[in-house]
Order: sequence, then structure tokens, then C-alpha cells
Amino acid sequence: MKMNYIKKLILIIPALIIVSCNDDLDQTPIDPDSFTEADVFINADEAKGALAKLYASLALTGQEGPAGQADISGIDEGTSQYSRMLFSLNELTTDNAVVGWGDPGLPNLHAMSWGANNDFTTAMYYRLAQEVSFCNSFISNAESLNSNDEVKAYIAEARFLRAFAYYNLVDLYANVPLVEKVSTDLPTQSSRAEVFNYVESELLEIQDLLKESGANEYGRVDKVAAWALLSKLYLNAEVYVGEDRYTDAVTYASKAINSSYAINTTDANGNGSAYDELFLADNNTNGAQKEFIFAINFDGNQSKTYGGTTFLVHASIGGSMEASNFGVNGGWEGLRTTRALVDQFDYAVTSRDDDDNPVSWSDSRAMFYTDGQSLEINKIANTFTDGYAVKKFSNIKSNGEQGSDAGGDFVDTDLPLIRLAEMYLTYAEAVLRGGAGGDQQTAVGYINELRERAFGDNSGNINSSDLTLDFIINERARELYWEGQRRTDLIRFNDYTSGNYVWPFKGGAKNGTAVEPFRALFPLPSNIILTNTNLKQNPGY
Amino acid sequence: MKKLFKSTLYLLFLLPMSFFAQQTVSGTVTESSNGMSLPGVNIIVKGTSNGTITDFDGNYTLNNVNNENVLVFSFLGFTTKEVIFNGQKTIDVTLDESQNALDEVVLVGYGSVRRKDATGAVNQVSTEDFNKGQISTAGELITGKIAGVNVTSGGGAPGEGQNIVIRGQGSLSLTSSPLIVVDGVPLNNENVGGSRNALDFINPNDIESMTVLKDASSTAIYGARAANGVILITTKRGTGQDFTFNYSGTTSVFRPTDYVDVMDSNQFRSLINEVGSQEAIDKLGNSNTDWQEEIYADAIGFDHNLSTMGNIGGFMPTRASIGYTDQDGILKGDNFSRTTGSISLRPTFLDGHIKVEVNGRGMYTENTFANRDAIGSSVDYDPTQSIYDVNSPYGGYFTWLSNEGVKNNLAPINPVALINLKDDTAEVRRLIGNAKVDYKLHFFPDLTATVNVGYDKSNSHGRTVVSDQMPSSQLDWNGSYSNFVNNSTNKLFDAYATYTKDLDKHSITAVAGYSYQSFEFDKYNFDSEAQEDGLEYEFIDKAKSTLLSYFGRANYNYDDRYLLTATLRADASSKLNPDDRWGYFPSFAVAWNINNENFFNSKTINQLKLRLGYGEIGNVNGLGDYNFLTRYTGSRSNANYQFGSGFFQTYRPEAINEDLRWEVGKNYNAGIDYSLFTNRISGSLNVYYKKTEDLISYTTVDPFTNFSNGIDKNIGDMENKGIEFEINVVPVQTDNFKWTIGYNISYNKNEITNLPDQVEKGGINGGTGNNIQLHKEGYAPFSYWVYKQVYNEDGRPIEGAYVDRNGDNQINDEDKYLYKDPYADIVMGLNTNVNFKNWDLSIVSRANLGNYAYNNMASSKAHLNRATANSILTNLHTDYYNAGFQNITETNLQSDYYVQDASFFKLDNVTLGHTFANVMEDSNLRVFGSVQNVLTVTDYTGLDPEISGGIDNNFYPRPRTFTVGVNLNF
Repeated sequence: MKMNYIKKLILIIPALIIVSCNDDLDQTPIDPDSFTEADVFINADEAKGALAKLYASLALTGQEGPAGQADISGIDEGTSQYSRMLFSLNELTTDNAVVGWGDPGLPNLHAMSWGANNDFTTAMYYRLAQEVSFCNSFISNAESLNSNDEVKAYIAEARFLRAFAYYNLVDLYANVPLVEKVSTDLPTQSSRAEVFNYVESELLEIQDLLKESGANEYGRVDKVAAWALLSKLYLNAEVYVGEDRYTDAVTYASKAINSSYAINTTDANGNGSAYDELFLADNNTNGAQKEFIFAINFDGNQSKTYGGTTFLVHASIGGSMEASNFGVNGGWEGLRTTRALVDQFDYAVTSRDDDDNPVSWSDSRAMFYTDGQSLEINKIANTFTDGYAVKKFSNIKSNGEQGSDAGGDFVDTDLPLIRLAEMYLTYAEAVLRGGAGGDQQTAVGYINELRERAFGDNSGNINSSDLTLDFIINERARELYWEGQRRTDLIRFNDYTSGNYVWPFKGGAKNGTAVEPFRALFPLPSNIILTNTNLKQNPGY
Repeated sequence: MKKLFKSTLYLLFLLPMSFFAQQTVSGTVTESSNGMSLPGVNIIVKGTSNGTITDFDGNYTLNNVNNENVLVFSFLGFTTKEVIFNGQKTIDVTLDESQNALDEVVLVGYGSVRRKDATGAVNQVSTEDFNKGQISTAGELITGKIAGVNVTSGGGAPGEGQNIVIRGQGSLSLTSSPLIVVDGVPLNNENVGGSRNALDFINPNDIESMTVLKDASSTAIYGARAANGVILITTKRGTGQDFTFNYSGTTSVFRPTDYVDVMDSNQFRSLINEVGSQEAIDKLGNSNTDWQEEIYADAIGFDHNLSTMGNIGGFMPTRASIGYTDQDGILKGDNFSRTTGSISLRPTFLDGHIKVEVNGRGMYTENTFANRDAIGSSVDYDPTQSIYDVNSPYGGYFTWLSNEGVKNNLAPINPVALINLKDDTAEVRRLIGNAKVDYKLHFFPDLTATVNVGYDKSNSHGRTVVSDQMPSSQLDWNGSYSNFVNNSTNKLFDAYATYTKDLDKHSITAVAGYSYQSFEFDKYNFDSEAQEDGLEYEFIDKAKSTLLSYFGRANYNYDDRYLLTATLRADASSKLNPDDRWGYFPSFAVAWNINNENFFNSKTINQLKLRLGYGEIGNVNGLGDYNFLTRYTGSRSNANYQFGSGFFQTYRPEAINEDLRWEVGKNYNAGIDYSLFTNRISGSLNVYYKKTEDLISYTTVDPFTNFSNGIDKNIGDMENKGIEFEINVVPVQTDNFKWTIGYNISYNKNEITNLPDQVEKGGINGGTGNNIQLHKEGYAPFSYWVYKQVYNEDGRPIEGAYVDRNGDNQINDEDKYLYKDPYADIVMGLNTNVNFKNWDLSIVSRANLGNYAYNNMASSKAHLNRATANSILTNLHTDYYNAGFQNITETNLQSDYYVQDASFFKLDNVTLGHTFANVMEDSNLRVFGSVQNVLTVTDYTGLDPEISGGIDNNFYPRPRTFTVGVNLNF
């Protein structure tokens, strides 16, 4: 009897186990940091986390700070950060900056000899396209919550960020796919004009859906951002679609200027200039925030990255510079500028050294470190002392204290992507180019506001006859250098690839030389061309 | 009355008779060829577990024998003999030497066959053939022994992991390691946190044999996870009646053999004086420090193992063992110490109808990890500086300081400080057990039902403490502390039935069954730095995956001449989406024993078997657990985003691939097994072709269609083809002298036949984000992707001059080409054993041909500017004298000048031993000495030509090992 039982058990128990184990094939994540769509979009508060990612995607590089769980693979995580890449593509390829490191693809940037596989052009495309996908997914998922007013604002902000990503894409790559919904279907390529029209129509639609000027919390955009981006778009319309849209540029620049945003004139650290406050560690509270229409936020403890302002501060320090003066623990000995930028401030030089090179200026925007640095660059690679260093960005607060990371590694300073000063310059340029709705006098007044802030008094003011297009491009360099605008400006003025304007080591030649016109656009990543046969590579690559 | 009395007496007589029907028999077993007694012969009463073994004089005594019992005398290498017991007091037996390899039993997964019946490419290596000397992990036992099986250690650290590859790389992004099955329990290949090597829990002394299944027809029964071959490890079982003991112990000395070529203090001093600015010259020190010598030292290790085997209660063969190993590494502070225990019980019940096997294996390891950052730092550090500096703010260790008085944040850290000021330890506990029950059905004895339940649990704790004296560039440095706890649990449940039938010339064996496995891990991490910063400081990672399978196999044997095997396995993994979850993997093999044919009459050729096989196997190892599910990942608290005055956790959607399917390998194998001159010459020849389709590779995806720029996709095809040849020769065999030679050679060619995208691989040191290898269609995977260097008339490379291969006057990515790869085209092993009277000598050597290595030490550390960069002095690699490069640039790093031929010949092991028989009653003692890593012959200029993956960067050097040991049986 017992034997029978045992025999039966031996055969039955396995059968039971077999049946029960089948369900075990359906596993779901058990990690406490992993969530489902239902968890995230359950209410407005949770959905805010997904909105936060849309902004964080431009500031940070992954879900772990400073690096880890990267958003983009195949490139060093620190270098894949948006503003660091924007700097690389829009500043390093111009007269504004050089860097001595040998990272793959980096030397090709200033030399303007990049190939279709260049790490920076490739990763920037990925970053922007990923941002579009994140926004698309958010917009369609948040629909279910849009009876809530807050969520309506979230959705409008997501549309802004998507339009901002496409603005970058149309500027850098021109012919990209227009995608509004994430699906596995391979997208088709749109023309530059189609992308331009899309960005324009989106911004026009959301300008009324976004919050009022100054009504949103710091770090999130309001309708002024839509106006500001529109004015940038229209200013460059000649380049993007061959149309004269300067009147619209004037209109929207004026709207932005006449909002609650204002040029910062608070000299919080008492050094005689209100310009440097824009780039200090507490620029979200020292008054600079009133000028920032769209900024990305960093924090030395809670929003860490190796890109962003951590990059701008550390990489600019080397030679005899004291890192503690900038609120960090050391320099990465990389970035300097060429004499082309330094020469822009020649009108304001107050003293020179024995070699007749300028060492101090009355224009406080000339923030150069000259001790032990030579003005001329003989060699870009590995020689930090060739070329003046730049002191613009710092991790020191207005009260002289270091930022919140006591170890001195990560920087608090926020980075403005669009600030009001740019709108002043846009207004002036659009008027000069024939845009209606504005006048020369007002434009001069705006420029002088910037000059007064820069000089601390009106010794640097201009008058109406000084306001020419040549003046504008140079003043833009003086006000906005290293903020990711230079290449776009040079292209608009026909100076980027042509021989009209050359700078040290442009095209790889010591004194600079012209490069092929197709280099005004960056190549689509060659891997994407291979994967998506609907896409055609930009000419020349 | 008288009749009654007589019958009662008769009965009484009989009664004792029936008691005494349990009799004792004894005798001597000798060899028929020379009359020599044979110790260690197995004698068993057929159908029971009652048995014994002959002692050192060939004598045996067996109790509890009944009339009609069949006594089976068996010994490896000899033909088994059966004798029926009918009351004889003495039974002497002579055994004939057999074609031993053919009678050998070989495991094939869920069963076993005799070697002569095997239809697949199977190699079995047992205790007597294992590599000897100081062996701490299982992989080392078979290095160089089997054609097509490459075992490479990760480096010279004690207990270091072994990378085992069978017949070439099988996958691009999933694991290429074979499946390892221990006593029927397939292991999870992923490392257990805190341990150096997934196999380190088995004490090599406990291993009886390792069987490698190379071709698909033999591995297909393991289906998923068997795409790269299978290694079956069988642990020692209890045999014999009385308990016997074995003690083995070794003591070893490990000595560093070579260091990276860097300048010494004189060379460096004269260099700086020649080319440095005054500022640089002022920084020179007055010492002569050889930093590499300071961090490496001779090390000592020892191990002790004690085992016993016997039989409990006459029905339960038992083996138990304990072992203790303690090894220091040649990098100062490295230590590996492990205690293992195992027990194996194999009781039988119900007259042999129920066989139970219970195995338990436990391990407790303590690891002290030396700080390997010191390896790179010792190559970088200025040899003119002294180790200590009383003025240093960091524990008295010389440190390069920045203007702020902290360590210059671009300077290397003092290597001796690195070694002494960081404490990195971990303990691992692991328990693997299984219980297997074989039930031979009473009512149907041809059918045996088996249930095997396995359990593998590991738990590890580790902590890293960095002293506050450790040089750091952080302004607020006060030391750091982090710890982790990892738990992982794997479960196995197998149920299958085996049917055997012998009918005249036909013989059939069929197996059908079911298997379920689950893998789960749970990791906890704590970071004190994060806690100090007021951030989230505890992190938990958990995941689980399961595997479900049905399998079946049929073996048909006709007259020992024609053999057929067919298997089918269906696997489902939780890692794949439900529509594509099930994969079906069949295999088919035939073999023809030509020597058994009537027309074949050769006295010299004992065996000639032709084998042909085809099989399909799937792979999903190393794939993420939830790739097809939509999921969001929350950010850690140091990657939150600020809105207003608060910080918010961000949620990111993860890239998904809803179409992930099995990666399927289709393997063809043809082979010949041969044996001549009564097995004096034997071996095999295999030709194989392995095609992997739907290769899972991390590949570019259009980021407009997904949430990242890459995703694991089934996107490519790969091919491996090759030839393996093995030959074992016994040139001399007499009473006192036996000499055997084994030689194996294999050739493998691996090519990616389909890959729409190219994938960069092989991160290297020097600059950020540089890669040196590429997967590209038409080439071997991991091929080097480099610029073509231009040389001057003297053969010196011209810096910055590369061939502009596409003629566009620019040097960029488009001028790179694919040049060689890290995997050897030809691998050879040559082993020889000499036994003379009581002496034994064994020599093991190997050669790899056609493998290329990238010398990252030379490429990133030999350029002149490095010496004075960053306001400090940094040492140079002596390749500077050859190449004279000034700068490190992306192009210089990726020059083909640094991809060098690393073909090598290594004399791995020379062991000499002497056996003292009968040193005590019934015991013998073997004493041996061995040297490992004796000699390397190569053209490669770096430290060691044998580097897994090919990139020579901060490699932990392999020591030369001198060992003495004893082995005592009593």
C-alpha cells in the first residue's frame, strides 16, 4: 500500500509542478526603481516626473548622476550631454573656441574636417531625436489626464520642448524626419522647409496654451519662451527657407522684450558689473533668473553631470589658473579661445603687457585669463597655454562661496539657452535687415542697455550711425560667446565656411582657410542612413 | 517421531544454512597480460550497491554474498568480467586489457553512453588526465587538453576567472561561454557579486571528470544556453565498502616574472633634462624607485583537502570532503581563501529499483581584493620620486599637489598608497545541492523515471573602505565607505523518463522529459559619500527570469555497427515576448562503427567510427530580463531635476523591442574516431560548420522610432567553421615504463556574414571614449579597426602620417580599415606523460597562432608630451624609443602599429612525482613538485601575449608557480 502511494507520488507530483510553473514565464520587473506606464500617468503629480525628464534630458545624461544608466549609448556619457555637444558643434567649430584634447572626432571639429561618423554630430542627432520621442510619448500619454489644468500646461511645455528639439535639428541637420508619434515604422525624411513650417506652427499654437510670462516655476517655460524661439526661427528664415521673415522676427522679439523678463542689472557680488552674475553658481536666485527665458538647471549634489556647466567650468581651467577661484577642485586643461574673439574687445582695452597683448578691458564681458597664456596659438593639441583662457563660467556664488558640492567636482551654475539679451540683439538685427514694426532708435537703446551693463556706465554706448550689420555680428560675439550661438550667427552672415572671414586654424590651416560650403550642415549619422533607407545623407558627406 | 526429529534437525541445519547463505568471498584480481595484481578494481554484486575494491595487492573481501549473485569485476581499461557466486570461498579473477577508451562511459546529458556508442563530438577528461600542480579552479584542469576548447585566465590574480570558449565566438553581444552543468544542475553563468570566478565554488579535488560536448547533436538536448557548447562536471562518488581516506596538500610559491617596459629613473631623468622646461626639471626627485617592484611581491599559497569515501549501512555509498585553500596574489594585498565542503550520498532501495543521489556542495570564500588601480599607476608614476614624503598631507605618501593643496586632479595616485589605503573585501557563501531519484518501475523495468531537484543559492557581502589619507582631489575628502549585499537563488526541477530495450541486434534508448529553471537576484548597495551629501544612498536592484523546457531523445543501435541519435527540445524563456517565446531545437546524428563490419578485417585498426551530426540550439544568455516590456526607470537622487525650489525624480521610458526572438545556431559536424594498435594510438578528427542566425546584437535603431539610439535586436548572422584533430599515442608501454603523448590542434575561422550596422567595441585607455574594435559584415567579430601607419625608410613610424585610403585629403574615420582580430586561428596542445617505476613526469604545453593583441600600454603611455603634461611628471613606456611619438591623439591611438602578432608557445606545466607504495599499511603516498607558467615564446612586446579579448591594458601579470605537494591514500 505504502509502495503504491510512493509510486503514485513519484509520478504525480512532477506533473503538478509542471503545470504550475508555466505561468512563471510571464515575469514583470521587480526592481523598486522600475515603473509601468500606468504607474507614471496615474495622476498629475506622478506625471510631473515624466515632464521633468523632458527638461532633464537636455541637462543630464542618464538616470544616475553624474554618469550611469545613460540615455545614449556608444559615446562617452559626459560628452553626450546636450549643451556640451551644442558647445562642441556651435562654438568649437568657430573662432570662439579651441580645445586641446584628442577624444575621437573632437580635433576634427575646429579643423572643420568631420566625417559622417563623427561622434559629436552623431550623438547630437541621437540626443535631439530621443528628446522628440520622449516628448511624443509624454504628449500622447498625458492626454488621458488633460482635464487637469496643470497637465494642460505640461502638455504645452512638452510641445515647446519638442519644437525646441526640432529647431536645433533644422539648424544643425536641416533634412530630418518629422515624427509626432513613436512607432516602429521607419520615418520618411522631410525637407528643411517642412521642418521649419512645423516648428513655426507648433509654437504659434502653443503660445496661448503656455503659462503667462513669469507665472511658471523656475526651470519650466512660459509663453515668452515660445515667442523668443519664434523670433530666433524667423531671424534665420533666410538661411532655413530662403524667406524674408524679419518683420515677424521683430514682432516676436518685441513681445519677449515687453514681457516680465528684464536684463539683470543687479551687481550681486559688487565687482562693478552685473554681467558675470549670469554665470555664477547662484544664477537662479541672484537676479540673473529674471533674464533667463529658457535655462537648464544643474546642481552639484542632485543634478550631476560631466557635461553642462561642470564641463564649461572645469575644462576652461588650466595653466596657472587657481581652480578654487572658480569653485572647483581642479582643471581639465582643455578650452581656450582664439585671438579673433579677443580682438573683438580691442575698443575697450585698458592695459597691455610687454608683448603688446591686451590684459585688461573696461568691457566686463571680456572675461579672459591672460597670465601665462599666449594670445597666439601655435599648437592646439595638449598646450593649454596657447590661446587666452576664458573665465566666464564659475561655480562661485555671489557671496564668494563655492557651490553646494563640497568636494568641488560638480557645478551648480545653471545655463541659459535663451536669455533676454539675445532678444535685444535679434530685434536690432531684424530692424537693420528691413523688418517692419520696429525702429532704429529703439534698437540703439537696447544695445546701449547691454553696453551699460557691460561697462558699468555709459562710456561704451553707441549711437545710431554705429549700428550696422557688421557691428551686430561682432556685438553678438561679445555678449553671447560660448553660449552656443556662434555658428548659427556666422552662417547667417555668410562667414562660416567662406573665405570672407577666417580665424586661427579654421579648416586646419594656422591662419585659417575657407572650407567647402556643404559644411554649413552637419551629416546625418551614417548608421542611421544604413538603418533607415528612407533617409538621404546631406550633400557632401 | 523419529522422522519428525530428523526433519526438525534437518530444518535446524537448513536454518543456519539460510542465515549463512550470506557468505563471504575473497580473492585476488590480476592482469591477464602480466599477472600483476590490480589494485582499485571494482567488485559489485550485480543489481545492488554491495561492493568493494581491491587493495594495493589486488586482494579483496566481499561480505553478504548470496548464492546465485553475479559478481561484476570492473576496472577502467579492462574488460569487465562477471562471475556467478555459488559458495566459493575464493574467486580469483584475471582481467584483460580492453580497448579501454571505448568501454569508458561518457556523459551526454540526461544520461550516458559508452564511448563507442557516442554519436557526437564528445571529449571526456578524468582525474588521471587533469592538469596537475597548483590548481584552484576547475577551468585550469583542462587547459590545453581538448581540441577546440580554449581556456584563458583573466590574469594572474589568485582564483581568477577563466574564460572558456568552445569552437570560436558564438555571439556578438550575448555570452560566448559554454553551459556548465554540475551533477545535472546547469549553473547560471553570471558572476556572483564578490567572487572572482563563477566556478570557484567547486574544489577541483572533488571533480571526477569534465566532459565537453562540442557539437550540436550532443548539446541540443540542453537547448537554450547550450549554443556555445556544454561542459558536464561530475563530482567524485563514493565507492567501496570500507571507508578510505585521501589527503592532498600543496604549498606553492608564486613569483612575478616580468613587468611592463617603462623608463627607469636614469632614463627618465636624462629625458627630462634634455627636453623639459626648467619648471619640469625642477620637479624631478632624487630617488630611484621601481614602482612596479614596489607593488608586486612573491606570494605564498597552500591548500589542504581531505576526503573520505565508503559505504554506509551497505546500501549507501558516500563521499565527503573538505578543503581549504589560501592563496596570496603577487599584487600586494591580494588574497583568496576558500573553504569547501561536499557530501555525496547514493543510497539504493527496493533492490536497486530506487536509486537516490543527494549531492551537497558548500563554499565559503573570503576575498581580499588588492587595489588594481595600482597596476596602471605604477606604470605612470615618476621613477625619480620617493615613495614617502614626510610633508605630504596624505599619510606620508608622496603626492602631486595642486595649487589648492589637494591632489592634482589629473595626476595618478601613489601606487603604494593605493595598495595600502584601500580595503576591499568580500565574503561569498554558496550552496549548491541536488537530489535525484531514479525509479525503475517495478511493473515495467525497461522504464526508469527520474526527478532531479536542484538549488543554488549564494549570498555575498562586501565592503570597500578607503582611508581618509588616500590622496584625493576632493576638497572635503574624509574617506569613503560602501558595501553591498547580493543574493541570488537559482532553482531547477527536472523530470524525465528513460526507456531502454535490447532486442537481439537492436537496442533502443529513449528519454523524454521536462525542465524548469528560475534565476533571481537581489542586489543591495550602500554608498557613504551619497549619504554624506544628503542624497539617496541605498540602492536595490532585482530581477528574475525563468526557463521552461520539454525535451526528448532517442538512441538506436543496430548491431553495434549503426548508431542513430535524434533529439528535440522546446524552450521558452521569460526574456522573450510571448509570441516568440517558444523555440524548437532538433538534432540528428548518425555514426557508423566501420571496425565492426564484417568486411573490415584489420588487426591494427581497433576502432574506426564515422560520425555525422546536425543540430539547432538557441541562445539567450546575457540578454536583459525585460527588454520587450514597456517600462520607466526612475532617476537616482543625484540625477533629479529642479523646478522652482524643489527637486523631482524623473521617469524615463526605456527602449523596447517587442520582437525579440531566440538567437539560433545551426551546427553541422562530421567526425572520425579512430584507434590503432590496441589503442596505442587513438584520437579523432572533427570538421564543423556553425551558423548562428538572428544574432542578438545591440544595434542602432532610429531614435525617432524608439527611446534610445540602440536596442538589442535579432539582426545578424555569423559563421564559425573549423577542423579539430586529436591524437594520443602510447609509444612505450612495459611493466616499468609507460610513455604517452597527446597532441591536439584546432583551426577556427569566424566571420560575421550579415550585419546591417557596424558596431564599435573594445574600449581603450587614452583620451575619452576611444574604441579599437569593430563588428562588421564580412569580417571576424572584434576585428581591430585602425588607421594604416606610414613608416620611414628605417622602419620607424612617422607620427600623424596615415594612409589616406579614400583619397579625400582628410584623415578621419573613413580611412580606417579592419586588420586582424584577437582570436587565434590555430590552437595546439601538446602533452606528455612518462611513468617509470614509481616516478611520473608530465609536461603540458600549448601554442596559439594568429592571435593579435593591441598594446594599449604602448599606445597610451609612450608619447613625449605625457612626461610633462598637467603640471606634473609622468613616466613613459619605452616604446617611446621606437616610435618617438610626441602627442597622444585619436589617430595615434588607433594606429595599426600597436596591433601586434601575439602568437605564442607556452610551456604551461612540468610536474614530477614519486609514489611510495605501502608506506603505511594499506596506503600509498605520492609526493610531487611542479612548475607552472614555465616558459613563453612569443614575438609580442607587451607583458603577456595571452589576453582574453586582445586589449592589453593594465593586465594583472601571471606569476610563475613552484609547487610541492603530497597525496596520501589510506
